[in-house]
Amino acid sequence: MRNFKFKRSLTLVAVSSLLSLTVVSIPTAARAADPACTTANFVTTCVGATSDTAPYSMIVPANFNGTVYLYSHGYRPNVPVPAGIPGYGGYTVTNTPQPGPNATVIGALVAKGYGVVGSGFARQGWNADSAIKTNVELVGIFKKQFTKTTKVVTWGESLGGFITQALAEQYPNLFKAAAPLCMASDITPLMTMAGDALWGIKTFFDPTIKGGSYSAGAAGYAEAMGDLVKVFTAIGSLQAAFAANPTAPAWPATSKVPDAIKAIPSRSALVMVALMSGIPMQSAHFDSTSAPSVLPAASQTSFQLAINPAFAALENVANAAALAVLATHDLELQAGGAVFDNTTTDYAARIKEEQFIWSSALSGNSGIAGLSSVLAASPRATANPAAVAKLKTLASHSGKVEIPTILFTGVADPVTVAGNQQSVADKYATYWAEKWAAAKKAGVSKRPANNQLVLWNFPPQKYTKFSAAGAPDTTLPAATGTNHCNFTTSQYLAIADMLAYAADNGVNLSGGALLTKLRKAGNMTYDRDYAAPKMKFYGN
Amino acid sequence: MIGKTRRKRTWFVAAVLASGSLFATALPANAETGVSASEIKLGITLPLTGAASPGYNKIGDAMNAYFKYVNDNGGVYGRKVTLIQKNDEYSPQLSIAKTNELILKDKVFALVGPLGTANFTAVHKSVGIARRGVPSLFLNTGFSGFGNKKDFPTSFTILPSYAMEAKIAALFLKENFAGKKLGLVYQNDEFGIDALSAFRNAGVKFDVSIPYTSGTQSAATAQTWVSQLAAGGAQVVLFFGVTSATAPLLAVAAGAKYAPQWILGSVGSDPLTLRALGVPVAVLNGALTLAGNPSPNDLNDEYIKVFQDINKKYNTGVAFDDYVLQGMNVGLMTVQALRAAGQNLTRRGLVRAMENKGSTFASVAYSPLAYSKTSNIGHTGYYMAVMDATGDRKPYGGSVVLYTTDSGNGPVVKSTFKRPAIPAKGLPTNS
Repeated sequence: MRNFKFKRSLTLVAVSSLLSLTVVSIPTAARAADPACTTANFVTTCVGATSDTAPYSMIVPANFNGTVYLYSHGYRPNVPVPAGIPGYGGYTVTNTPQPGPNATVIGALVAKGYGVVGSGFARQGWNADSAIKTNVELVGIFKKQFTKTTKVVTWGESLGGFITQALAEQYPNLFKAAAPLCMASDITPLMTMAGDALWGIKTFFDPTIKGGSYSAGAAGYAEAMGDLVKVFTAIGSLQAAFAANPTAPAWPATSKVPDAIKAIPSRSALVMVALMSGIPMQSAHFDSTSAPSVLPAASQTSFQLAINPAFAALENVANAAALAVLATHDLELQAGGAVFDNTTTDYAARIKEEQFIWSSALSGNSGIAGLSSVLAASPRATANPAAVAKLKTLASHSGKVEIPTILFTGVADPVTVAGNQQSVADKYATYWAEKWAAAKKAGVSKRPANNQLVLWNFPPQKYTKFSAAGAPDTTLPAATGTNHCNFTTSQYLAIADMLAYAADNGVNLSGGALLTKLRKAGNMTYDRDYAAPKMKFYGN
Repeated sequence: MIGKTRRKRTWFVAAVLASGSLFATALPANAETGVSASEIKLGITLPLTGAASPGYNKIGDAMNAYFKYVNDNGGVYGRKVTLIQKNDEYSPQLSIAKTNELILKDKVFALVGPLGTANFTAVHKSVGIARRGVPSLFLNTGFSGFGNKKDFPTSFTILPSYAMEAKIAALFLKENFAGKKLGLVYQNDEFGIDALSAFRNAGVKFDVSIPYTSGTQSAATAQTWVSQLAAGGAQVVLFFGVTSATAPLLAVAAGAKYAPQWILGSVGSDPLTLRALGVPVAVLNGALTLAGNPSPNDLNDEYIKVFQDINKKYNTGVAFDDYVLQGMNVGLMTVQALRAAGQNLTRRGLVRAMENKGSTFASVAYSPLAYSKTSNIGHTGYYMAVMDATGDRKPYGGSVVLYTTDSGNGPVVKSTFKRPAIPAKGLPTNS
């Protein structure tokens, strides 16, 4: 197998894609319910802070049509990250308000006569409970400031998607429609995925990674930052090894697995980490199916089945790892102790189906058996029961919504995997079935309205690009349906239009009009029989 | 999913996953996807290109040839059968995308003959074959796991499982090669899981055992296999893998003048394909193989004669080998299944027809079919064959001695099963 050199290092986008855009500056002395407004070019921009000191921003055109979009931004780490973290860079905690996904979308909505509003939230990290309260207060402030307001719709991404779904469930009278995008769902499955991934990296590649159970205070912060360094050092080593010898890449020097296990290519261990965590096998630049045309025909199948999936796992694990460390540190602080427990996890059972699908990438039965033996023999992580109980109180979704909701995510999102959206869809399906059964029991023959529209963004069949020399090109934009919250302006605006329709009509867009809307936006799929894989926490 | 309880909706939306294109179809009442007054649309995914494609890439065209023959003779209750082939390059991820195309864009009624264990496992899970109620008939894989009717309620195998094959091979080894040094080369995935388990249960121990990971087969890797086999002194070597691995193994062994008694599994033993891939015919002479079907050259067999005639007219210029035979036979069985499901064709009706009548279908293979309400398993047995100096396959010992068994702990028994006759002119009339 030839050697490959990436055109550049893998782009680690997890946190940058989660971070908000700086849309407006924050007033230094904002007071609750007392926005400071300025008007220019027929657009009024107001800034202020809710009673919890969370800064907010409102943008409303002179021809305001009465409908406002409340946006909830995604997860921002609650601690700064030093600039020297390899492969990651630095981060400064910010609570800059964000009233929409990006400036282009905000501008387009305002130009259509809509208002937009969003908070920066008082606390960063996992902040669902406080953010929900902030948003409810913010809606009141907006209505008071802009008395022409007739309808409020809510949308958000990632953690903001979680918040949006919760608002829809808990405040049906406040909102006319909701769109949780690339949403996070229940916190326990999310942290299980993060914990499994970190524990897998630790077990295979660097046992000095703590992966959780961080100390309190400054010591815990230092441990988490140390983990970031170690995780990205291991990933960097793997990246270099993959590029040098994709067929049999070396193990990182920090790995302490037995030499016999190191006879298995390290790429297979990384694929194992992805599969057992539930991280998808299509990434921004690797489709798990393409091979360079310059390879001999006999080697192309091997690349398709074994090498490309390993690169996909590398790219996705890299994108998920940063958030895994930072969110684990954050939530342990909030819960009061370790929240990840894998003392009873059977990782071999976790991949009982995937082991056939990805057999070549896992180096066959021998590879699977060897890697599984390492997982089975390695010390497990034990959670603090009180912390686990506390974690569960940090919010989950019931799936019970009465207002129209629109769910949309990339099928190969490596951070908030598609199983998050699926779990909410499943809960709503159960709720709807219960309502229908109750209606029939009461002699009602009309089915209850189905107020949930579930949309998916599927990656293309093939999208990995190779140079003339056969090296994979990772400089291209991420493929649609991959990466975290990787949406186009057209898709955002299609969602916005559908929200407006739902707010006006009390039901989601359907039929031919929906088809047309989705087709024009591109890469938005409605397939009521599609079900994304459940998160591994739920069993498969 | 809520949608499953709302079948009466008058609009239906589906999307082509790759392109994002969307299609709307207004289905008339009681109509079934992929079925019109004049046509039944079926689909198959298989490797049409790539290292794994030799031989497999003939199956779809052979099925199509048979369907054209049936169509020219009135179709199935007047409906033409159309088969849409999709090239998955043997990549599971691509199988998912291609199957989604078949179901959502092409709107096929059923899948027939999808190929590959990893591929169908991926498809079944990610596309949601059972959830959608899409019949998947005559899977071209011997993985015993697909015999779990609870997990695969709309899928039906056709080949005897790898486990059955290994059990029969084990008995043959014990009866004929006791005391010899045994070697095994096997594909290190579900192939191996099934085979190794069966050999272990049968008490067969191999002196040299060599796994290979699917996709890694090449002349270079075959060199290491041959070196290990020769160094271990293996006198009888059993091969359990695909043709693209058999070929380099036999070719490299010939070059090294290593000549054990070869026993080839059914999957990787088509002589014509092996010869096309560079295996000297002299190496094949005397090689033993497990076989479920008669030789594709046996013109005394009524099925072979009919299928060869169809191949000449509808698949012109394509050499008639085991893969063409398999494709033709899947076509024959598909038409019987469609007929058994009745004129008011539905997906549920087709699954019920397979369960209720599938075991009676005519098939070229010698062994019984095990379809029932509780079983989605197709053929259940093999006979031993030996290749001659032309590469042709003849029954070992001069006549077919059929062994049948199951994928579990059941015994291997000699069978007296009499294969049903081929329908007149190869055109089923069952109902």
